[in-house]
Amino acid sequence: MARMKHQAIVGNIGHFDNEIDMAGLEATPGIERVTVKPQVDEWVFPDGHAVIVLAEGRLLNLGCATGHPSFVMSASFTNQVMAQMELHAKADGYENRVYVLSKALDEQVARLHLDHLGVHLSELTEAQASYLGIPQDGPYKPDTYRY
Amino acid sequence: MTSPSPPFDFKVADLGLAGFGRKEISLAEHEMPGLMALRAEHGPVQPLAGARITGSLHMTVQTAVLIETLVALGAAVRWASCNIFSTQDHAAAAVAVGPRGRADDPQGVPVFAWKGETLEEYWWCTEQALAWPDGGGPTLLLDDGGDATLLVHQGVATEKAGQAADPEGAGSAEEAVIRRVLQRTLGEDSARWTSVAGGIRGVSEETTTGVHRLYQMQEAGTLLFPAINVNDSVTKSKFDNLYGCRHSLIDGIARATDVMIGGKLAVVCGYGDVGKGCVQSLRGQGARVVVTEIDPICALQAAASGLGWSPSTRWSSGVTSSSPPRATATSSPPPTWPA
Repeated sequence: MARMKHQAIVGNIGHFDNEIDMAGLEATPGIERVTVKPQVDEWVFPDGHAVIVLAEGRLLNLGCATGHPSFVMSASFTNQVMAQMELHAKADGYENRVYVLSKALDEQVARLHLDHLGVHLSELTEAQASYLGIPQDGPYKPDTYRY
Repeated sequence: MTSPSPPFDFKVADLGLAGFGRKEISLAEHEMPGLMALRAEHGPVQPLAGARITGSLHMTVQTAVLIETLVALGAAVRWASCNIFSTQDHAAAAVAVGPRGRADDPQGVPVFAWKGETLEEYWWCTEQALAWPDGGGPTLLLDDGGDATLLVHQGVATEKAGQAADPEGAGSAEEAVIRRVLQRTLGEDSARWTSVAGGIRGVSEETTTGVHRLYQMQEAGTLLFPAINVNDSVTKSKFDNLYGCRHSLIDGIARATDVMIGGKLAVVCGYGDVGKGCVQSLRGQGARVVVTEIDPICALQAAASGLGWSPSTRWSSGVTSSSPPRATATSSPPPTWPA
């Protein structure tokens, strides 16, 4: 950071504050912290040049703004609610391991968000599904498919 | 469905913000069709009746809609944020007040979150979210980053060892805070976390980092209950991480600095789903974007996505001879407008 241009903006959008060496920055001899406003700090090096660090090195989209918009979080949180329902109903059938939700549920989450954007989904006929060798109602991709 | 009867415990910045929060929650509900569809489909059968959910996830307007969906499906919920800066105080206030309460008569969900917590306050909030008024714990965790899961697991480990790790020997300020919490709880009740862990049927984890922690615990054989990795649902990581960051990265930089992005040189460290969204966000504003990567697949994706290889503008000033090998790709100059 000491070698960055004057007033370079430094930010992190990862979950934890372990991607920017804030402890090292704070420990730089002679450095001065000037708070511009909450979650915006100018760190002035002894030579007079400065970098602007957002949200003290923590995730800047939630620290300096309001995070992701509702629509995309609806997809994430629909998965969360489905996971909570699954665990509440069937946890006894699971081992103490890490699982992912089924592709059928993943596709269901996507389906629930199409109408809102006015998307019309094409449907396979029985003959087309049979020709392609995939179920008419999904899942449409193998687990190895990466989208 | 019942709401907690006041007085119930919670801690937010200002209940007077609840009205504003409720208005924004109403707007968000319209934009969250998946959650509202779950309420409509499952609300009548209350599939989460009997569930006690502790959530540790950014206390935003969107999370308010999540919380109230869990309640609509029959769950009892307690909540903390998973970052000291991420709470929207009006959302926290509205959740505490609830859709049928008033600021002077809160009837919502116990939420422990405000913007600008200290680390000590942050872990106090997490601890409160895990502590039900009857002395018991949750039956489910809904985690983002794994801090609630971590506190329970480290608590159990501490109780097994019969002593808390020395805060003086912690590797970071935050680790020292956690150790002090566990030192105190061990003194108060030497079986508290063992009991809490025993009541937890499972955890659902929101994000890449938390999922990484869970897989590490699975490998070590220390995971105490089943976990569902929500992050790796396609409809999570290929949407939230990508399109979410595409939206909110530029929003954060703009609100913080109001600096014009067009024409600037931006360095994005990592070209995974989040990095891809960040690059789109910056390029959309006309920045020249450089990506750094250690993963050859992601580096090749960056190059093949039009972040063309250009040795003359290669970003290398921060790379020393002791740095690991690092692939670097830069974008071509921003397109002229109109094209």
